[in-house]
Amino acid sequence: MEVTYKVHRKDPENGGESSYSTYQVELPEDATVLDGLQKIRDEQDDTLAFRASCCQGSCGECAVRINYKAQFTCTTRIGDVTKKAPEILLDPVRNIPVIKDLVFDMDRFTWNKMAAMKPWMEPDDEFAPTENLVPESEMADVRKTMSCHACSLCDEGCAVLPVNFDFLGPAAMVKGYRFVMDPRETGAKMEARMKVVEQPQGLWDCVHCYEADGKCPRGLTPSSKIMEIRDVAFKEGIKHEKVGRHHASFINSVKQTGWLDERKLVMETEGMTNVTGLMKLLPTAVRALRRGKMPGRHEKRPGADQIKRILEKAEDSK
Amino acid sequence: MPQYDVLVIGGGASGLRAAIAAKRAGASVAVLSKVHPLRTNSALSPGGLNAPLGNDDSAEKFAQDIRNAGDGLCDTEAVNILAADAAREVVWLERVGVPFNRNAEGRIDCRPLGSSSVSRAAYADDRTGHMVLHVLHEQFQREDIPCFAERFVTSLIQDGGVCTGAVALGHRSGQLETFGAGAVILATGGATQLYRPCTSAVGTTGDGLMLAHDLGVGLVDLEMVQFHPTVYSAARTALISEAALGAGAKLVNAAGDKLVNAGGLSRAQLAAEVHKAGQNGGGPVSLDLRPVDNLASRFPAAAEVVRLMAGIDITKDPVPVQPVAHRPMGGIEANAAGETSVAGLYAVGECAHNGLNGAGRLPGNTLTEAVVFGRRVGEAAAAHAKSAGAADAGGSQAAQDGERLAEITSGGTSGDTIGAVHRELGELMNANLGVSRTDAGLAEAQDKIRALRERHAALRVNNKSRIYNYALAGYIELGNLLKLAEATALAARGRAESRGAHLRSDHPEKDDSNWKAHTVVRSQDGSPKLDTRAVSA
Amino acid sequence: MKYAFYPGCVAKGGCPELYSAACKVAEKLDIELEEMSDVACTGAGCMPTQLSDPINARTFAKAEQMGLPIMTICSTCQGVFSQANHRLQDAEYREEINREYLAEEGLSYQGTTEVKHMLWVLFEDYGIEKLKALIERPLNGLRVSPFYGCFLRRPGNIMVPTKDVGARRGYLEDLTQILGAENVDISGKTKCCGFPILTANEEASLGMVAKHAGESSQKGADCMVTPCPLCHLNLDGNQPRAEGQTGEKIDLPIIHLPQLVGLALGFNTDEMQLGRHIVSTKAVNDKVDMLT
Repeated sequence: MEVTYKVHRKDPENGGESSYSTYQVELPEDATVLDGLQKIRDEQDDTLAFRASCCQGSCGECAVRINYKAQFTCTTRIGDVTKKAPEILLDPVRNIPVIKDLVFDMDRFTWNKMAAMKPWMEPDDEFAPTENLVPESEMADVRKTMSCHACSLCDEGCAVLPVNFDFLGPAAMVKGYRFVMDPRETGAKMEARMKVVEQPQGLWDCVHCYEADGKCPRGLTPSSKIMEIRDVAFKEGIKHEKVGRHHASFINSVKQTGWLDERKLVMETEGMTNVTGLMKLLPTAVRALRRGKMPGRHEKRPGADQIKRILEKAEDSK
Repeated sequence: MPQYDVLVIGGGASGLRAAIAAKRAGASVAVLSKVHPLRTNSALSPGGLNAPLGNDDSAEKFAQDIRNAGDGLCDTEAVNILAADAAREVVWLERVGVPFNRNAEGRIDCRPLGSSSVSRAAYADDRTGHMVLHVLHEQFQREDIPCFAERFVTSLIQDGGVCTGAVALGHRSGQLETFGAGAVILATGGATQLYRPCTSAVGTTGDGLMLAHDLGVGLVDLEMVQFHPTVYSAARTALISEAALGAGAKLVNAAGDKLVNAGGLSRAQLAAEVHKAGQNGGGPVSLDLRPVDNLASRFPAAAEVVRLMAGIDITKDPVPVQPVAHRPMGGIEANAAGETSVAGLYAVGECAHNGLNGAGRLPGNTLTEAVVFGRRVGEAAAAHAKSAGAADAGGSQAAQDGERLAEITSGGTSGDTIGAVHRELGELMNANLGVSRTDAGLAEAQDKIRALRERHAALRVNNKSRIYNYALAGYIELGNLLKLAEATALAARGRAESRGAHLRSDHPEKDDSNWKAHTVVRSQDGSPKLDTRAVSA
Repeated sequence: MKYAFYPGCVAKGGCPELYSAACKVAEKLDIELEEMSDVACTGAGCMPTQLSDPINARTFAKAEQMGLPIMTICSTCQGVFSQANHRLQDAEYREEINREYLAEEGLSYQGTTEVKHMLWVLFEDYGIEKLKALIERPLNGLRVSPFYGCFLRRPGNIMVPTKDVGARRGYLEDLTQILGAENVDISGKTKCCGFPILTANEEASLGMVAKHAGESSQKGADCMVTPCPLCHLNLDGNQPRAEGQTGEKIDLPIIHLPQLVGLALGFNTDEMQLGRHIVSTKAVNDKVDMLT
């Protein structure tokens, strides 16, 4: 069948403007999008730049956006694309600077962000003669997580990265999760690991919008994993100072009255002795006051004592 | 010019292990890799890595299994080293993070794989290579070793018979960069892209073999190419770990009858059985995975890749399979320390021939070989670099390579293309240098390869840029493959016997009196010459 | 038609206009609300599940006692509730929580409580034809950008669990049109508003406000409508600061879902308390006033 490819182009040696090239390619029905790209480069335009390696959906190298959906070219069949749209539109993955055509900057992106997780173990007993004894039940989840391709398709869906390029993103957090949940890292190693995971631009910069959960080609649910790391952070004690104050105030407020005291939360989060931080809040507070939006007196709710009892018991069960 | 004690070319499992070992031995190290390390072919090795960890196992038993699979062509030193070091390396991998499956005692579980006499393959689901590669990359980052990824090596630099560095084209920079080194380790992987279909990544084009060959280093046992017996292959390929057979999967013919008792057969024998059944009008052979307990959770990668590439649910239907070119046993002539005939040049992993694999690799040994010999070769190269001191790599090789690249990209299109030549080469290799070979077929292959080389020589690339010019890289890779194909056909034609992976239907018997020997191909006056060398006991 | 009404902290605190609008609209539609006044905050993602699951199980148990489904007017409450209720469908986990936390108060959650956001209630329980019949003032000419935010949409397996409720993905656009208004689609309508990282990264949070509200404003919307008061707090309350950060004027009113419904049902802008918003709703007021 004849297929139309419309491919994003960018030539860093000629101004670097984005444009599109259109190609007509004759392909068998069950060909993949990658087959077509290779054919174009071979027969029509050898300036076309795109990455590929394993050609069987196992390495993560060929991620691009195919008709606006980020996927692997090597596992996407042209028929599945063309039955929904007249042409195959190929763009680089979002949120990542493009170098040339469909080749984007993995160094500045995924590789650097993952490296920021200090993604390695430094066991004290590295050269012990026998392996760690670990129940299979504790290893299975870590192993599944480690099947991550590092393909950056989860980062592609991230809501934070478009406004904050420095956010480490879901792929790096999945890497963090793999260590946080590894039964072989405990004690001081765990403590140090949580500090790394909670670094600025890390765990607490995620908006938990759950966008990433649906994006992983391995079904790894990165967003849910971030929430699981958060649960661990609560247990271990939050290392991020401001977030720690915020969450402590939040929980305290619900404990005392059954519900959230927004005004107190805002001030306690800044830190009651942090004058600059508190001053920054002033204009918003004044605007709110003028509009009658300032929360009123915060009354203790009926049932608050039961709620407090439950929360305290749950905290003790750590 | 950046200068390192040890320069590792190749970012797969062998290269990363070598780099870590060299760094820990006190050397300054850098890695050059065509693709990012996590995109290398090591990630595709599914089944497991052998180590005698079980109570019923020993280094001796392991060595014997390796020798049996090698069918008379194993060199003893390499076999003994692997058998002795494997357990230690696998335990180290576990200690630094590989999430191996566990047995009831919480120890590393070992499963049956291939013709091993005991359950010896440590595994992480059926993504063992992926996990090992990712953990090695983690440790590589821990060592803070510079990684020059997406660098395509165009030449090794030789000065007075000593290898002193390499020239590489940076895909991103578009520049030819010279790297000086006290020792260079080739860990460039195999050359399975000689074949179509094949199980391996697009980068397995034998670049390292040709870099060494060009310096006069011999290429050993090239005719020994392992075909994997359980590969789905139609428009695309999907490899299913042979461990599935050990776990209860069955090879069945078109009528659904069990084809063969896989237990105890070498991979070559199994491939031959599947090949034969397919040839004799028995219709397609299928792998029926349904008898495997907890199939989807034990073989998640097979389930995924077969679903993606074949559209088949392995829990519901058998998968049509055929033998497909998988990994070469042959490679750059090296000893167990990775040393080649050129001082300062080392080779390890799938690009190397150190005598371990003989005429047939024991399934599950690829990754073990990578880590065991990666470490040893890294240490040896570090020691060499220290004693040799810094050598000057100069800049003339880069200038020469620049001229060559300019010539390649001087282009007008003819009707012919790189892809067409590569496709024809792959199909030719599969037909004439496949599971079963004949003298006539090999002679025909030699002629056709020569013709393909001429067509390649006449081709030019239009794209003059050096930035992510994959057509340019592809042209050089194809040139490497064609030269390697020529040498492989020469070796295969020479070996007039059947042994291990080399099945000659015109010489069906093993001939120990003449051929219990390695073939060695060397470049002589620009063309390959065949020689033999005794197997070392 | 009766619900256990769970307004959430913000509707009782920083967004009282949401609470009153929801009550007025419910009354007009003859939806009876019995407010749950003795139950806890959901935790809003600021508590570990270890803490929030027990207190949410308590809320569900109370509703079960009342024999009523819960109606929320906050996507965040809805999201946290739905996720907790999903986990509490596991009988073993539920029994553990009953035993450890609820038994002392004589409560026990059986897993039967349904929790629905008002937006879902209108479509799935009340019926859109019934709603249409009550529209007194179609909002003709009002250009509205629907903004879902995160929690009514994701995680998909929990928030839109079956094909039967697949239409949830379009309720907000559908409703806007049913009310007579015109949809102004923006690319980030199901993205995060930025509220959750106001603490950790204010700049990024405000960046999201500028992005979404800015796009809507540029596309000529009169206002944005959101089912989540936290989205409202950030998109409305912090819009002036977001403008300060980018230096570009946005000036886009952010309307709560019940306010938009209320306007179409004939309430005037004062009754819907649009005057309580930070960003002036004058443009909306003027258009709506013209319609009466």
